[in-house]
Amino acid sequence: MALPLKYNLRNVTVRWRSTVATVLGIALVVAVFVLLRALARGIEANGANTGDPRNIIVVRKGSQAESGSLITRNQFRILQYFEEIARNERGEPVISAEVVLIISAPRRDGSGEANTLIRGVTPRGIELRPQVELTAGRWFTAGKREIVVSRRLAARFARFEIGGIIKAGPARLSVVGHFDGQASAFDSEAWMDADEARSIFDREQYSSVLLRPRDGDAAAALLKRVEADKRLALRAEREVDYYSKQTMTAVPIRILATLLGAAMSIGAVFAAMNTMYASVAARTREIGTLRVLGYSRRSIVVCFLIEGAFLAAIGGVVGCLLSLPMNGYTTGTIDFQSFAETVFQFRVTPPLMLMGVVFSVVIGLAGSLLPALRAARLPVISALKSI
Amino acid sequence: MSRPVNTGTFIAKNALRNKRRAALTILSVAVSCALLVTLLTLQRELTIPPESEAASLRVIVRNKVSLAQPLPAKQLATLDRIPGIVAVSPFSFFGGNFREETVTSFAQFAVDPARFQGIIVEGKVVDGSYEEFVKDRNSCLVGADTMKRYNLKIGEKMRFTSTFYPVDLDLTMAAVFQGTVDDRGVFFHHKLLDELLGDPGTVGTWYIRVASAEAANDVIARVNKAFENTSAEVRAETERAFQMGFVSMWGNVKVLIGSISTVVVFTLVLVTVSTMSMAIRERFRELAILKALGFRRRELFSFILAESFGLATLGAVIGIGGAWAFWTFTDLQSLTKGFLVYFQVTPRIMATGGVVAALLGIVASIAPAVAVSRMSVVTGLKTLD
Repeated sequence: MALPLKYNLRNVTVRWRSTVATVLGIALVVAVFVLLRALARGIEANGANTGDPRNIIVVRKGSQAESGSLITRNQFRILQYFEEIARNERGEPVISAEVVLIISAPRRDGSGEANTLIRGVTPRGIELRPQVELTAGRWFTAGKREIVVSRRLAARFARFEIGGIIKAGPARLSVVGHFDGQASAFDSEAWMDADEARSIFDREQYSSVLLRPRDGDAAAALLKRVEADKRLALRAEREVDYYSKQTMTAVPIRILATLLGAAMSIGAVFAAMNTMYASVAARTREIGTLRVLGYSRRSIVVCFLIEGAFLAAIGGVVGCLLSLPMNGYTTGTIDFQSFAETVFQFRVTPPLMLMGVVFSVVIGLAGSLLPALRAARLPVISALKSI
Repeated sequence: MSRPVNTGTFIAKNALRNKRRAALTILSVAVSCALLVTLLTLQRELTIPPESEAASLRVIVRNKVSLAQPLPAKQLATLDRIPGIVAVSPFSFFGGNFREETVTSFAQFAVDPARFQGIIVEGKVVDGSYEEFVKDRNSCLVGADTMKRYNLKIGEKMRFTSTFYPVDLDLTMAAVFQGTVDDRGVFFHHKLLDELLGDPGTVGTWYIRVASAEAANDVIARVNKAFENTSAEVRAETERAFQMGFVSMWGNVKVLIGSISTVVVFTLVLVTVSTMSMAIRERFRELAILKALGFRRRELFSFILAESFGLATLGAVIGIGGAWAFWTFTDLQSLTKGFLVYFQVTPRIMATGGVVAALLGIVASIAPAVAVSRMSVVTGLKTLD
């Protein structure tokens, strides 16, 4: 016969003073775990949210990121005339040869300099990325040393406000607008005219080419054609696939989350064990009485396990609630692929929170198993005699 | 008043009366301390690059735009004429993946071998010969750590696929060096890189050695001035400052680790405080008897304090010692695929962990001590559990 659940619930609430510390301890462990995972999730979400499923990006074979890719003007010329590429109403192929560069810029908070990714784009390149929206000011004028920066970068770097001047070596770029990448990788970029960028930074070659095929069949044909053309030595990939792979930075954070979660949970298990042992010791007589009433050893074990799991689950829920305010908070670190600052948001998603609660229940069960077994093994008579 | 037993044994007996609880408390403090030490070490690793005396005598010159922007090779002629410079060599990051690896586990740099010898003066050749490296354009100089990690021998073929340049490198190991702050790098002929790239006339950075630490600032000023108002303006800085620049790029990660450490400490406080309160609650009656016998509050407080302090310190010794042993005797480089190399648990970090644990022991004893001092002997004697 199982003990009524109400007994456990009331035990947890009646002895609240002794349980608050344990609950809070578990809550903090869960909060750290969930927040770190939310960080990794944010980086991955940015990558998964970047690009248009109709677009294809072309980079040099062997390069891991655009910043390490080179496309010669000759290669671009060949690509330009592929008949698989869609044409706009003016009959021009929808293709954009772009250059990706890195400049070092001072941070707004004065804590030194960091790398910023600059993308030299063409009007076609802007059309190809409808998720990037101008939020303030205007787009740059072709042929001028003007630059439009992401709203989120502007919050992190000095002189990135509209009217500000970004120094790039001897060149001066004036900020004329801010854009929003809608939580995509473009949030970590600043855009300017491609030709102007190539001339300022002395780049004869492009970094990547973005294009839109006529339709799905043309896309498949184009991917195959670039792959097969040994002369080109280029790699074509759907833009969405390309960006969803650019999440290497999330890997060490996820490892850190797992390691920290594991180490902190060991501490939390010890704490939970302590509380549960104390709880068993304090209720020795009560347990003896229950046994006399006819409750089996097994139901005593189950009872204490449920109590431990319940205690920890409260901690898990509190931990999730603690981490929730950070949802959507923007932060940044260095991206290992582009070597520039990448900006992203914490993403505390429902599956992550569920994971946190499950994690806490596991801590609770692990912590209450030994005390529960001890409770079940108490000799009935001496338990009844104890004060 | 005469003491019934020696105070020390009395405290120790009390602390270990409930052996299970004492063990659990010590273990949870130990785990948290180990975690704290690890986090502090990680933070130090990310914020303070390894320091060496030779590094303060070296200057790195990069393009003012960013590290990713190359410099014209013709700047060498100007640099050679700048007074105070003992040696200067091109220094270009290759960013290659070794053999079949998919990540860049260690750095490779293209240098001018003849000039480079005068720059990493602290590195000693331990195998092969430097002359061989200078002579053979397809050879390379390999760090001892990398040699050991891959079990390489002199004459070994090494292939690198660049993630930055559209070329691959096929090198032969000619010499092994040891004694620098980072004995992992691979160095090869800049001429080979130029040849593979079709002579672009550029270098990544310039690597300079100056005569003395005092001269470094003058040299930096002269180098910066020499290229002012040219198409490739430069930023010269000491090797140390250059490394600190990398640190700045970590951005909010540093803050993140700092806040996690705070949470760990806080959790530690919670655990210990709750254990101490539990231990005291259990013997409320006893303490009331002691009070009735004439022990003063101060004495009762010192009993509790000593017990809590003792448990915390023991936990700290185990945790900090364990963390130190783990990080010192584990082969981190292969464990983290080259992400973490040294991970040095410094005495300072261990001391920080120890101080935190000691304070913790004191803080944890305050609440139970206050409860004990407030209780009247009568209620204390009446308490049942």
